[in-house]
Amino acid sequence: MSEAILEGMSEAILEGMSEAILEGMSEAILEGMSEAILEGVSEAILEGVSEAVLAAEEICHTYPGGVLALAGLSLTVPRGCRLAVLGANGCGKTTLFLHLNGSLQPGRGRIVVGGVPAAYDRAALTAWRGRVGLVLQDPDDQLFAATVAEDVSFGPLNLGLSVAEVRARVAEALAMVGIEALAARPTHMLSYGQKRRVTLAGVLAMRPEVILLDEPTAGLDAQGAELLLASLEALNAGGTTLVFSTHDIDFAYGWADRVAVLAGGRCLREGPPGEVLANSGLLAQAGLRRPLMVEIAEAAGLPHGGRDEILAGLADRARR
Amino acid sequence: MLATDRHAWTNRWRFIHPGEKALFVVGLLAADFALPAASVAHQVFAAAFLATVIGAKVPARAFWGVMVVPAGFLLAGLPALAVSVQLEGAGPLLSLSPEGLALAVAVQLRSLAAVACLAFLILTTPIPDLLALARRLGMPPALVELAYLMHRLVFVVLERASAARQAQEARLGYRNFKTSIRSLGLLVGGLFLRSLDRGRRLDTGLAARGYQGDLRVLSAEPELSVKRLALAVLMTVVVVASALVWP
Ligand SMILES: Nc1ncnc2c1ncn2[C@@H]1O[C@H](COP(=O)(O)OP(=O)(O)O)[C@@H](O)[C@H]1O
Ligand SMILES: [Mg+2]
Repeated sequence: MSEAILEGMSEAILEGMSEAILEGMSEAILEGMSEAILEGVSEAILEGVSEAVLAAEEICHTYPGGVLALAGLSLTVPRGCRLAVLGANGCGKTTLFLHLNGSLQPGRGRIVVGGVPAAYDRAALTAWRGRVGLVLQDPDDQLFAATVAEDVSFGPLNLGLSVAEVRARVAEALAMVGIEALAARPTHMLSYGQKRRVTLAGVLAMRPEVILLDEPTAGLDAQGAELLLASLEALNAGGTTLVFSTHDIDFAYGWADRVAVLAGGRCLREGPPGEVLANSGLLAQAGLRRPLMVEIAEAAGLPHGGRDEILAGLADRARR
Repeated sequence: MLATDRHAWTNRWRFIHPGEKALFVVGLLAADFALPAASVAHQVFAAAFLATVIGAKVPARAFWGVMVVPAGFLLAGLPALAVSVQLEGAGPLLSLSPEGLALAVAVQLRSLAAVACLAFLILTTPIPDLLALARRLGMPPALVELAYLMHRLVFVVLERASAARQAQEARLGYRNFKTSIRSLGLLVGGLFLRSLDRGRRLDTGLAARGYQGDLRVLSAEPELSVKRLALAVLMTVVVVASALVWP
């Protein structure tokens, strides 16, 4: 009997009720619910729950000689963000970046790339490095070719692209960082700032979704840093996710939309700069000071928030 | 070496196909070795010199700078060439004959002219361009890649070496002979370790860009111009003709 009942019920559902249900739902969606859903989604994005392009899950790494460089570090990189990885010298920033593109393999824990746990065979690594580009701190660790254009062509050729496509990408990448004029110059006759832009172009030419930059502004003068940041801003506006390490807290505060604070091979906190970088206890633990803007806000008796809020508050104060 | 390299990258003929320059040099060398030295060496030398200084606009000083060391070696070998040793008879006999001297001078002239041709080549063509040509002519790719990387690393190491030397000098490391020897030892030892470390890091840097054991890059290929190739041959003909007309 039970079978007959079930059949009867399912028939009833399929024939009679389903229409009513579907109609009801679609109406609800079109009229009432859609707003709620959209709100929910945008909230999720604002809260940083959006899709992660890259994540480290409790990774540990010990260098030969027994230095524990990463001690269970977890970090999620949301798509399209500008994430600053902050920390004192030796806290593990470079080691973390080497893990995020598969140059090093964690002793414990794992890396997740685009929602899939990373594999370390040759094919997987090639695909990974096509998606996640790494710009090392010292350009001489990355430049090897005789001329600028030759060097920039190296990455795209490794992706197996055609010669015509590679040529187009080299031209595009050189234009993006503003060094078209240097194309035929030998790499050993460049200034430090120029070399750094060439290494960035070499990675850009591979069109990665994520670019990891190790101390991108270290050693650059104000103008050099500005040129570099302008290129990075254009990239980020085009949807490329940027992750950069720095110990320049004012730079991170003013330029990043997310910050992660590292200390002792662990990520202490990740979040919006206005919130994370106002936390003096946390920063002291990481051996960092607070951003100048936050100090000013406090001295002026303004609530700490993001950089723009503080600036608006100060302007308001000055007007009165 | 650094000055030579700089001229190679910046001279007026930098973007002329290395094959054309090589053909010019091969033609001159062939003339130099095929004809009697006394008649052709001057012309070959002059052609190489003028091509470097007037053609490629490399300063004459740079040309002499490249010539001076090989010329010194050649001159040092002159007495050995000029003197002939006779082992028969009563003990060895050294003799200096006019013919011996003439022969020695001829060999010297020929060699100097050949060195001038090579000076032209390295002052007008960057090493990587020459390597690309060598690869095209059948040099094994692995060797070419090795030489290519070495060329790059030599400059990185030189840069480090001069920075380290400056740092040592600033701390009085080269005050006297004893400290100089010690400083130099530390410098070389340090450079060796740094070079090892650098090699390791370069490996990481290249791997991050998808390196899989093949150092391929896209070189800018200058056009091979038939006109200039013909000109290179014509130059050889002119040199040979002038050697025959004014022996
Ligand atoms: N190649 C290495 N061999 C041994 N220890 C290393 C090596 N590289 C880094 N370390 C150590 O690992 C720790 C983290 O280094 P790193 O990731 O370079 O820090 P950061 O980039 O934040 O300055 C440091 O204590 C450092 O001394
Ligand atoms: Mg570092």
